Amino acid sequence: MSGSMVHRSLAVVGALSAALVVGCCSATTVASAAASSAASSGTYLVGVSEPITGAEAPSGTEIYDGEVLAVDKINAAGGVLGHKIVLKEEDDACEPQTSVNAANKLVSLGVQAMVGGYCSSAAEPAEPIYTRAGIPNIQVAANATTLVTHGYKNVFLLDPTGGLQAHEASAFFTQILKLKNVFIADDESTYAVNVANLTKKDLAGTSTKTFAIEAIPSTDQDFSSVIDTLRSDGADAVYWTGYFAQAAEFVRQLRTAGLKIPFVTADGSVTPTYIKDAGADATGTYSTIAVLSSFLTGSAAQTFDSSYKSKFHATPGPYSAYGYDGIYALVDAAKSAGSLTPSKVIAALHRLKFKGLTGTVSFAANGARVGAHFIVLEVVKGKYELAPHQPPTS
Amino acid sequence: MSLELVVSDIVAGLFLGASFALIAVGYSMVYGILRLINFAHGDFYMVAAFISYTILGAVTVGTKVDWGNVVWVGVVTMLAGGVLAVAVAKLVYSPMRRAATLSLMIAALGVSQILENGVLNIPSWGSNYLPFPVTPPSAGFTVATVHYTWTQVGIIGIAVVLMGGAYWIVNHTMVGTAMRAVAQDRTAAMLMGIKTDRIISIVFFIGGGLAGAAAIMMSLYYGEINYLMGFSIGLQAFTAAVLGGIGNVAGAALGGLLLGVLESVGTGIFGAQWALLFAFGALVLTLWLRPRGLLGERVGQRV
Repeated sequence: MSGSMVHRSLAVVGALSAALVVGCCSATTVASAAASSAASSGTYLVGVSEPITGAEAPSGTEIYDGEVLAVDKINAAGGVLGHKIVLKEEDDACEPQTSVNAANKLVSLGVQAMVGGYCSSAAEPAEPIYTRAGIPNIQVAANATTLVTHGYKNVFLLDPTGGLQAHEASAFFTQILKLKNVFIADDESTYAVNVANLTKKDLAGTSTKTFAIEAIPSTDQDFSSVIDTLRSDGADAVYWTGYFAQAAEFVRQLRTAGLKIPFVTADGSVTPTYIKDAGADATGTYSTIAVLSSFLTGSAAQTFDSSYKSKFHATPGPYSAYGYDGIYALVDAAKSAGSLTPSKVIAALHRLKFKGLTGTVSFAANGARVGAHFIVLEVVKGKYELAPHQPPTS
Repeated sequence: MSLELVVSDIVAGLFLGASFALIAVGYSMVYGILRLINFAHGDFYMVAAFISYTILGAVTVGTKVDWGNVVWVGVVTMLAGGVLAVAVAKLVYSPMRRAATLSLMIAALGVSQILENGVLNIPSWGSNYLPFPVTPPSAGFTVATVHYTWTQVGIIGIAVVLMGGAYWIVNHTMVGTAMRAVAQDRTAAMLMGIKTDRIISIVFFIGGGLAGAAAIMMSLYYGEINYLMGFSIGLQAFTAAVLGGIGNVAGAALGGLLLGVLESVGTGIFGAQWALLFAFGALVLTLWLRPRGLLGERVGQRV
């Protein structure tokens, strides 16, 4: 898997839902969206582009199920502006090529909005297609910064980009761990470098000092000389922003070398595979991540959790709640616009502010999420748990 | 950059280099006898790692290391690596005996792809990073604040013994003499009554076996395996073989250790993102000053 342009490869914290819908792959016909979308009366057709085949398929299915839950609830209460929501799912397989085909297909079917997306590398090439069609493109879990740098006015990311994560990480280092010297390392992938740089920037001016960011090629398995360097620098914590395979190797070698300093990873390393591969050395390590379905608190979250379980006989996936919030973002925007017309819904999304499961949902001018909750996880007895001390929410 | 850091980087580099060296020896011996750059060699290492993973997983209870198990699985892994290498040589390279060197090299690349994608498609192996079934204990000793484990010491020790064994076979036994004869002139060796096919098989077997030994030791140390793990290390081992003088066992060993130290010290001085640039810069400089590699001899003397 290439490291650039990432996504969340991760994190099947709950059980995997097994119901894979195998998407068919009909030839792409790009018809005019506007022509066909007007035809549907009484229904509000919403496209969902998700990986439903391939390695990321479980995550795609979990997000889709979260959306289905929201749609059921809204339709049971009379729908949106008198229209019942109908979801149309297409497989993007977490691949750029397939994602473009899926987008063309959805647009030609006349969907009036897109709420989906898991892999940034698949989401990015499909962006211009939704933009040309003039419909809202609400990305549920894809969160590369590059997704919101093309100037498209219809792109909204529910999963916050690296900036907020960096903020959470630096708050954790300065206010909870209260450490002097943090050693930041990335794996040279776009996402990891971004988080590393932003964290360093965020720590500048605090009492916590960082050293030069160490960029470790993603093919490296041996961290011993990096560990020598951080030891001689006097680092008292490590922040690893890359992926899980190297995280496991890094922490094992760190502990083997006799260094017991806190090891904190960014969300790219949050997956049960990391815990398995790092073995006993995973215990006590931390991770920063946008709040996952399994760590939501409050009565709305409990209702979500129990209705998800009773409908799908599975625990919500890490991003199921984002799918749920994505549908509500669209519907709230449509209601406040008083119209299902895509251009009006897009305008309303820019003004949107409501309390979702994953925190306040609103978007910056470029479409990036504002107001999401971040949490710090700790590995306890081979499982992710909420760390006992969380940095204050900003 | 303190002296202490340089010293600990050199030690770390020797450890990294030991794995390069074990794989480089196989690369080098095969090149010496067939003039073939066997790009599939790194994948012998990878397949051997998966074999040791499966066997060790089946016999291990809990995560505690049973050294008896590790030793016999290690021997089986070496044999498996050797058998795999011989099978590839017999099935793929042997029928191409009269083909151009370039065709052989492309075939080797093909074998590499077949092995990688073959492992990818085996259900219990696949594309995931798999945790190695046993974790070595962290007991060891501390020198100037740096902790070394007995496992690390053992790995370097075993690597040295195995490479010494390969050197001894090539230079001090009848079989080794036959290998050098085949390397110098295959036709003449055949006319002298040497069974060249068998000698070639033995060379592949030794190379594959050393890759197998490296595979189980490194998997034990790094703790996870993946179907692409052979690619990068294979490339570095090939580089090490060239650095030391390809076709020469002692050169490959020296090249491997040196490349490991260069990468490690490069990381210490310039940071990990510059390590390969530093190491390969040193390679280019070495080849510029000494095109045959450090211990490279005249072409006629190779193996």
